[in-house]
This record gives sequence, structure tokens and C-alpha cells, in this order.
Amino acid sequence: MRAGETLALIGPNGAGKSTLLSILAGALAPSSGRVTAVEPPPRIGWLPQRPGLYGRLSARENLVLFAKLEAVADIPAAVGRLLALVALPDDRKPAAELSGGNQQRLNLAIALLGEPDVLLLDEPTAALDPTQRHALWTVASDVREHGGAVVFATQNLEELARVADRVAVLLGGELVFAGSIAEYERSPEADVFA
Amino acid sequence: MISRIGVLLGKDVRILRRSPFLLAALILYPLAIALLVGLVARFANDRPRVAFVDLDELPEVLSVGGEDFNVDQVLRQVRAEVDLIPLSPEEADHRLANGEVVAQIIVPSGFASRLRGMVQSPTLILRATRGGLSGRVERQTEALVFNLNRLLQKAYIEANLEYVDLIRAGGDGSFLGNDVSIVGLQRAGEILGEIERDTDDPEIAAKASELRNFVREALLALDQSGASLRAVANPIELRLEDEGRRGFLLTAQVQAYALALTLAFLCILIAAAGIAAERDENVIGRLTRGLVRLGELIAEKISLAALLGLVFGLALALVFSAALALEGTSGQPWGRLPLLAVGLVLGGAAFGAFGVFLGVLAREARTASLVALLVALPIVLLGFLPEASVAPAAWVSNAFPFAHSVRLFESSLYDLSPWGTVAREAAWLAGLLALFAAGARFGVRRLLT
Repeated sequence: MRAGETLALIGPNGAGKSTLLSILAGALAPSSGRVTAVEPPPRIGWLPQRPGLYGRLSARENLVLFAKLEAVADIPAAVGRLLALVALPDDRKPAAELSGGNQQRLNLAIALLGEPDVLLLDEPTAALDPTQRHALWTVASDVREHGGAVVFATQNLEELARVADRVAVLLGGELVFAGSIAEYERSPEADVFA
Repeated sequence: MISRIGVLLGKDVRILRRSPFLLAALILYPLAIALLVGLVARFANDRPRVAFVDLDELPEVLSVGGEDFNVDQVLRQVRAEVDLIPLSPEEADHRLANGEVVAQIIVPSGFASRLRGMVQSPTLILRATRGGLSGRVERQTEALVFNLNRLLQKAYIEANLEYVDLIRAGGDGSFLGNDVSIVGLQRAGEILGEIERDTDDPEIAAKASELRNFVREALLALDQSGASLRAVANPIELRLEDEGRRGFLLTAQVQAYALALTLAFLCILIAAAGIAAERDENVIGRLTRGLVRLGELIAEKISLAALLGLVFGLALALVFSAALALEGTSGQPWGRLPLLAVGLVLGGAAFGAFGVFLGVLAREARTASLVALLVALPIVLLGFLPEASVAPAAWVSNAFPFAHSVRLFESSLYDLSPWGTVAREAAWLAGLLALFAAGARFGVRRLLT
């Protein structure tokens, strides 16, 4: 990954996209190989495909908890900013009672807590409405413009063409293609996933 | 590290506070189990069904040694301990064979006449099945015979003392069914005195004097015969005193069991479900990618179990103390509560470590809860078995925190000098805590996949 770049991971179900993102996030140890990073290591924000949050805590409580663990300096300000960014109501409703879309928004807000340099997004827009999709890509664009990088896994080829700079194709846990969008569109892999 | 564990601990406590029904169930369930087990242990099979076969057709009133015994009244005393069912020999055999009764007590023919004769001991026959409750029935039948003997020996002693009185004072009486008329030692002494006084023969006077001395000594000895007979009949007499005894349901042992049982269910279930829930909520990956180490997550769940053990254990101890105060007996020694608190923390942590180990194996919160419940119950029941009677059960039980917690709590609260037991059981609990925590740490990566 290069700074200022957006990489799309595509591949059929079970290809290893989520596993690769988990390994990049540091949540899973690779069975072989290793992840190397520049010094100082970049701050990573990870948006797992299934929201990773505490269902009995409210959105704010979830954000405060993870902000404490991320050692965020000004927790109330950060939490307020993120709630506004993802347009989540600041009420006491447990996260488990939020709609799927709102849970995904909270999932994104938690991923953004540590002001990440690298954003790892696993099927990020699957449960979002068009407005929230736009908001998500605006956030991703901000990260990239500030010298960060974005990696996202998707099955949405339209999104791929619109957002990604490069494409990596996984098949059965193997990287079978890596290149620019233009190279991908000319490659045989493009026919497979068309 | 401490602050990260503290943050997660705060989160778990907040989540638990939002689940009052779950928490109430986790407290009340083990208490109900403790109460039921206590009652079952105390009263189950308390009155085994025993066939009573009366081949002698005992009369309503049996006269022994001049004292009348109401047979039904005597049997009523026995019925407090066993459920005596009067049956014919055939019916008793049938019911013993199919297990409807656990034993037969048979009164053979000639029992009453032997009893009245007071020369030969009559025999009661006990026929019991092997195993199961037979030992208990044997002990209760022995208690029955003991009680009967206790009632009869008083009559026997009184009858024997009547013979002694007859020998001392003389007169008409009956012995072994024969009417007798005897002069008695007192009169014999008087006669010998008269002979000694009236005779001119110094040799006869000397012999009469010698006999009179013997009679005097014999009379002195026989004066003590009542006390001697009672002493021989009861070399050791048991006196039951009811003053200040603790009520059954709140004996030291029952309190210790209730505390350990509450901790066992509460801490194992919460820790097992808690660690597995981190995976269920898909949070564990988020936590362990640099925010919290896996070891810290395990330590947090163990700390949660220890905290719950302390809070609810102390609350329970205070409830027991209040109940004892209402009952009018002295409650827990308050000075021992700090020692109990240390035990509750250690016990809770050991149960918690075991729970985390189960949670790691089960991986899903629902499965972990079910497994924790299924595993906790036999562990607890193993701890209830008497160590001296079922040694293998005790060995297995020692590999889990329950039995050690019971001994630690009991000793902490009531032993005059608890330090030896407390130190030994605390060392056991600390060892088990380390063992299960290490097992959980070894397997915790299962939650990441």
C-alpha cells in the first residue's frame, strides 16, 4: 500500500478478503508470511464486516469505551464529533436495538476513533443508505488526502470503479491479480467477476 | 494494563447492571439449589419405609418387670426415624423383593414371653437389602433396638431391685415364675445377733458373729446396688442440651456450602459467558489488535468473577448473619469478615478462571452458559460427597475450586484457629486459579477465528 492510495480487494465469497483485512488490522495472526509497516507504524482503523460493538451499551457508551482503550486525548469532543459525522442520535438506546444501517454507522465511528492513517473497510457500504455511503467515502477520501491509505473489500464493482485506485483479486486465499483499475479492466479476472 | 482492565471491568459491570433478571437468577438459583440440597441431604430417606412383621402378635400392653409398656407408643417413637409398615410375612417378602420397602423388622414368635421372663434376651430380626440405604436402615434399626433397650432396662433394673429388696428385707415374692418366701438379710442378721447373745458356746458365738459381720457387709453392699445397676446399664449417659444450638439450616457447614455454591454458579457462568460474548459481539478482534492483550482480557474476566464473588458473597454472609440474629443465635463473628472477604475474592477468581477456560473451549456465549451450568452442577455435587466415604469423588473434587472454597469459608467463619486450613485451601485455590488461567490463555486464540 502506498500513501494516498485506495486499494479494492475483490474476490468471491470465502476468497480470504476479510481474513486479509483482519490480519492487516492485527486482529488475526497470519498462519504464514508477515505484515511489514513503515516507521512509525501507522494508526489503523478497522471496520469489520459484521459490526464489532457491545449491544447492551448505547452508541455513545461504545464510543467512550473504545476511545478510552485507544487513549484518545479529548474523549467527549471526539465522541461528539464522530456521532455527528455518522449522524447517529445521541440517546441511551442500546446498540443492539439500532437498525442494521445505524449499527454499521457506529461500527464506522469506532473505526475512526483513533484518527487512523490507514482505513481497512470490510464491505463497508453493504448496510448503508446512499447518503451514508456518500458520507463514508467522504471520510475515506479525507484519510487519503491527509496522506493515509484506504483498503476496502467489496463485491460492488460499480463502487470499485468509482473509488479505487488499485485492485487486488483474491481467489482461494491466493492473490491472483494486483494492478490499476485500467489494468484490471483489461485482465481476464475482470471477466470472472463481471 | 490496569487501566485497560479497569475500563473493560467497568463495561462488564455496567452491562450486568442492565441485566437485573439475569443477575437475580444467578444469585437465587444457586441459593435455591443450596437450600434444596441441604433439605434433601437432611430429610431425603430420613424415614425409609421398613416392613414390620409381627409373628408374635404383640399385645397392646406388654408387662415387663412389673412395668406396663404400650407397644404402639413404643413403636411410635421408632416411627420418627423409620416409616414402619405392618405387613404379613408374605407381603413383606414381596415388597422387599420389589424395593417398596428397604428392610423388614421381624418380631419372632415367643418374643414377648422371653421379654417377660427377663432371663434370655429376645431377638429382633432385621432383613435388609444390600447397598443403597441398607447401611442407613441398619443404623436406624440399631437406634430402634437401642431405644427399646433403654426403655426396657429401666423396667429390668426395677425388677432386679425388687429381688434385691426381697433378699435384704425378706418376705414373699416371685422369682422365675416361682413363688418364694425368704427370711432376708436384715432378719438373718437379727437372728444371728440373738444366737450370739443367747448361746453359751463361745465357738458358736464366734461363728454367729462372723456371719453377722458378713450380713452387715452384704447389706451395705446391696444398699448401693440400685446405683450400681444403673451405672452398669449406662456406663456413659448422653445428655442432650438444647441451649444455644444453631438451627439446622444455618449451620456453619450449610453457610459455607451456600457461599461456595453461589460463587460456583455465578462466577463460572459469568466468566464463561463473558469471554465468549466478546467473540459473539465480534469485539474481540477489535480489542486484541493492540488495544487489549489476550492475557489482559482473561485477567479482566477473572477480576469480574472475583469482584462479583466478593460483593455477593459478603451480601449473603450478612443475610445469614441477620437470619441468625433473628433466630436468636449468634451470627458470624464480624472480625472474621475480612478473612472471609479474602477467601471470596480468591474463590471467585478460581471459579472465574475455570469459567473463562470453559468459555474459551465453548467459544459461543450460549454454548458457554450451557456448558458452564452442566459442568458446575456435578462439581458442586462432588463437593457434597463425604470425603471419608467416597475417596475417588474427593480426589476429583479437589481438582476444582468448590471443595476448597467450602473448607476455606467454613474455617474462616467458625474455626477457633483457622490459619492452617485457610492457608492450605488458599494455596489450593491460587494453584487452581493459575492452572485454569494458563489453560484459558493457551486456548483463547480459538475465540479469534
